[in-house]
Amino acid sequence: MRARWRAAGLAVSTVALLPAAWSVIVAMPSFGEHVSPYGAAVNAVVPAARHVSNMVAAVNFDLRGLDTLGEESMLLCAVTGTVVLLRGARGEETSGSAIRLPGRAIAQRSDATILICRFAATLLFFFGVYVALHGLVTPGGGFQGGVVIASALLLLYLGEGYAHWRSIVRGRVLSVLEGAGALLFVLVGLIPLAFGKAAFQNILPLGTFRDLYAGGTMVVVNAAVACAVAGGFTLILLEFMEETRAPETETEPGEGG
Amino acid sequence: MTDPASLLPLAVLLPLGAAAALLMLSHWLPPRSADLAATIVSLLLALFCGWLAWRGLNQPLIHWFAGWTPASAGRPDVRLGISFVADAPSAAVSALYALLFAASFVFSWGYFDKVHAHFQVLMLLFLAAMIGFCMTRDLFNLFVWFELMSIAAFALTAYPLRESSLEGALNFIVTNTIASFSMLMGIGILYARTGTLDFALMAQALAGHGGALAAGGFCLLAFALLTKAAIVPFHFWLSDAHAVAPSPVSVIFSGAMVSAGCFGLFKIVIGIFPLDRAVIAFVHDGLPWFGIVTAILGGLTAWAQRHLKRLLAFSTIAHLGIVLVGVATLTPEGEAGMLLYIGGHGLIKGALFMIAGILLARFNSCDEIALYGRGRALWPAGLAMGVGALLLANAPVGLLYRAGDVIDNALGWRAESIAAVLSSALTGGALLRAAARIFLGCSGAPGPERSAPTEREREKSDRPLWLMLLPCCLLLVLALLPANLLEPFLRRAARNLLTASNMHPAVMNGAPPDALTPSAFLTPGLAVALALLSILRLRPVGRFARFAARLETLPFRVLHILHSGLVTDYVMWMALGLSAIAMVFYLR
Amino acid sequence: MSVLPWCVAAWLFAVGIYGVVTSRHYVHLVGCLSVCQSATYVLLLAVGFHWNAGPPIFYDHPPGTPAVDPVVQALVLTDIVIGATVTALLLAIVVQVQKLSGSVDPQRLRPLRPNA
Repeated sequence: MRARWRAAGLAVSTVALLPAAWSVIVAMPSFGEHVSPYGAAVNAVVPAARHVSNMVAAVNFDLRGLDTLGEESMLLCAVTGTVVLLRGARGEETSGSAIRLPGRAIAQRSDATILICRFAATLLFFFGVYVALHGLVTPGGGFQGGVVIASALLLLYLGEGYAHWRSIVRGRVLSVLEGAGALLFVLVGLIPLAFGKAAFQNILPLGTFRDLYAGGTMVVVNAAVACAVAGGFTLILLEFMEETRAPETETEPGEGG
Repeated sequence: MTDPASLLPLAVLLPLGAAAALLMLSHWLPPRSADLAATIVSLLLALFCGWLAWRGLNQPLIHWFAGWTPASAGRPDVRLGISFVADAPSAAVSALYALLFAASFVFSWGYFDKVHAHFQVLMLLFLAAMIGFCMTRDLFNLFVWFELMSIAAFALTAYPLRESSLEGALNFIVTNTIASFSMLMGIGILYARTGTLDFALMAQALAGHGGALAAGGFCLLAFALLTKAAIVPFHFWLSDAHAVAPSPVSVIFSGAMVSAGCFGLFKIVIGIFPLDRAVIAFVHDGLPWFGIVTAILGGLTAWAQRHLKRLLAFSTIAHLGIVLVGVATLTPEGEAGMLLYIGGHGLIKGALFMIAGILLARFNSCDEIALYGRGRALWPAGLAMGVGALLLANAPVGLLYRAGDVIDNALGWRAESIAAVLSSALTGGALLRAAARIFLGCSGAPGPERSAPTEREREKSDRPLWLMLLPCCLLLVLALLPANLLEPFLRRAARNLLTASNMHPAVMNGAPPDALTPSAFLTPGLAVALALLSILRLRPVGRFARFAARLETLPFRVLHILHSGLVTDYVMWMALGLSAIAMVFYLR
Repeated sequence: MSVLPWCVAAWLFAVGIYGVVTSRHYVHLVGCLSVCQSATYVLLLAVGFHWNAGPPIFYDHPPGTPAVDPVVQALVLTDIVIGATVTALLLAIVVQVQKLSGSVDPQRLRPLRPNA
C-alpha cells in the first residue's frame, strides 16, 4: 500500500477519534485534585502493618508481589529469547577478536580511561548494592539496584577490554544467578502454602521500622529481584556485545598442524 | 480433604517454578529430561485445573495473595490485595490449555536441541501466563499475565531464526505491543474513574452511570483483547505469526492463545462492566457484527491460501469470529456454547497444526500445490486431516457442531447463521481440497490460491511418525466426544457466573427471535462440494473461461493485497478499527 | 491546566503511532514504541499525583503525612521493566534481520513473500 494512502488512513482515524478522546480527557478527574482510595489506604495501613517506610517497595514486593513475579518471569522470557536469537545464529563459541571495519582507525584505550573505569565501576557496583539493600527504607529497591549493578559490570568492559571482561563476566554464572533469583521468588510464594497460609504471605519476623531489616519476606524478595535483574540485564548486554565479535577465521585444509 | 482454594496458587506457581528450575539446571540435566519434566508439569496442571473446575462449580474458589483479604484495609471500598478466583469456566478453560500444552510437548519431543531447555522454559512460562490470565480478578494482574503471554509468544515465534520467522515475529511484536500499551492506558483511565483495580469493586463503582471514562476504558481494553483474539480489522498479525512459528508453537497459538483473547473479553465484560448500560449495549448489539465480518473475511481468505499453516491461521480467524459472537450473546446458553466452541476448535486446530508439522518434517514443505500426491505413504495423517477438516466444516458429530448450534440459537440473528455456514464451509472445503491434493494426489487446476504467499522450510525430521501422530489423534478423539457430556456442566457454570455478576436478567435471559437453523448436513455438504469443485477444475482455455477465471481471482487478489505483510499497514488498520469502536460509543 | 497531562499522554501516544506507521527503519520504529509507552507512564503517574503531597516514602516524614499514590508508581515500575525487555527482544530480532536480509525497512520486509 502506498505511503500516501497509509497516511490518509491514519488521518481519517485520528479525526474520527478526536471527539471520543476529547470527551474522555474532559471527563478525567482534575489533575492533582483526586485522591485514590486505594493509594490512601496503602499509605495509611502498610507502615504499621509491615514496618516498612518505602510504600512503593511494599506494594511491589508484598501487596502486589504476584505482579512482580509475573514481571520477573517476563525478564526471564526476554533474556531467554534474546539468548536464543543472538546465540542461536552465532553459535556457542566466543571469539577474542572484534569485527574490524575497513577504514576505521582503532584507538588504544588510554590509561586515564582504564583508571577511571576501575574506580567508577567499583563505586557504581557498591552503589547498586547499596540501593538494593536499602530498598525498603529509602527510594530504590531490587530493580533499580540490579540495573545499576548491570551498568557497573558494563563499565568494566570499557576499562578492561573484551577478553579480560569475558573472563570476569561469565554467561553461565549469569544465567544461574537469574534463574536462582526467579526460583527464590517462587519459593517465597510456595513455602507459606505448605504452612497452610496464603501464597506470598509474610511469615518472617517483621523487623523494625526504618531499619535495614524490615518487612519480613520483603527483604528476601528484594534480594531475589536484585539478583534476577542484575543477572538478566548483564546477560542481555553480554549477548549484544558478542555480536561485535568477528567469527574465528577458519584455517584451510592442509594448513597448520 | 484439603481446601482447594488454599492450593489455587499452585496453578501458576508450579509452571513458573519449573521454568526457573529448568533454566538454572539446564546445563547439568540429562538430555531428554526437560521434555519429560515439561510434559509431566502440564499434565499435572490439566488434572489440577479440571479438579478445580469441578469443585468450583457452585461456589467459586477464592484465594487472596499474601493474605491481604478484603477486610485488611478497614474500609469497604478498598481491597489491598490480588485475588485469584477459580470459577468453573475459568478453571475448565485453564484445564483445556494445559492439555493442549501437554500434547504439544509430546509432539515436540526431540524437536529442539538437547543442550539447553530454552524452548521448554518459554513454553512453561507461556502456560503459567495463560492460567494466570484465566484465574485472576485484578485488572493490572490481568495485564501482567497478558504481557507475559505475549512476550513468551514473541520469543517462540522467532525461535526458528529463519528470515520469514524473524519478519513474522516483528509484525507480531509491533502490533501486539501497541495493543498492550493501549490496555495500560485503559487501566489508567479506569483506575482514575474507580480508584481500585479489583473487578468486583470496579463493577460496583461503575454501576449504572459509568460515563465517558468507562466507555473510554472499555474501548482501549477491548482494542487490546480483540487484537489478541485476531478479530477484523486487528487480525493481520496472526497469519504472519502462525505461518512462521514452529509447529508445536502454532498448535498453542491457534488452539489456546487466540481464544484466550475472547475469553479475557468475556471476563472483563461480566467482571467489570456488567452494570454499565452503554458497554453492555455495545457488546450485545455491536460485537456480533465484528464477529460476522471476521468469520466471512477469514473464510474467504483461507480459501485462497496454499501454504497449509497460513490456511489454518485464517481458518482460526474465521472461527474466532464465531467465538466472539458467543461472547456477545451474554446469556448462559450462549456462553456455554462459547466455552464449548473454544474447546472443540482448540482441539481440532491443534491436531491440524500437528499434521502440518508432520508434513514439514517429512517433506520440507506444507504447500498444497508443491506436495501434489507426495503424502500417499502417510495415509494415517491424511485420514486425520480429513476428519479434522470435516469437523471444522460442522459435521454433525462432536463438540464443535453442538457449540455452533448453541451459539446460533442463543443469538438468533439470520446474518450470523449465514456467516457461520459460509465460513465453516469455506475453511472446511479448503482443508479438504488441501488434503485431497496432498494425500490422494487429486490435482485440479489451482485457482485463486496460486498467487498466495508461500515458502519452503524445514523442521527437524528424525522424529518417529507414531510419536507425532499420537497427540494429534488424541486431540481429535477428544474433539469427537459427544457434547452432552460437557454441555450441562458448562451451562450450569455459565449461569452461575452470570448470576454472580449481577448481569441484568433482561439481558441474561433474553429470548431470541425465531432463528434460522440450517439442517445438519448443509455446511459439511457445502464444504465437500467446494472441495470437489476445486479438484475437478480444469484449466481455463476458452475465452469466456479465462475471463471467468480472472473475475473469480479478483476479490481474492484484493484480499492478498490487503494482507500485505507490512507492519505499517497493519497498524493503520488497527487505528481505523479503534476509531470505529470509539465512534460507535460516542454517537450512542 | 487540569487537563494538560491527559492531553500530553494522548499526544504522545498519537505521535508514537504516527512514527510507527511512517517509519523507514526498524530501530526508529522501536524508538516510536518507547514514545507510546511514555504516554502510558505520563497517564498513570498523573492519575496518582496530588498537590502538596510528598513522596510515599516515610523515612524522613512520619507515616500519615500526605503522600501521593504509591500504587501507580509501582505499576509504572513494573511497566518500565516490561518495556525494557520488549525493546531488547525487538532489537535482537532487528539485528538478525539485518544480517539475513540486509534491510531493516519496515516498508519492505514481508514474511513468506519475496522481498520487494
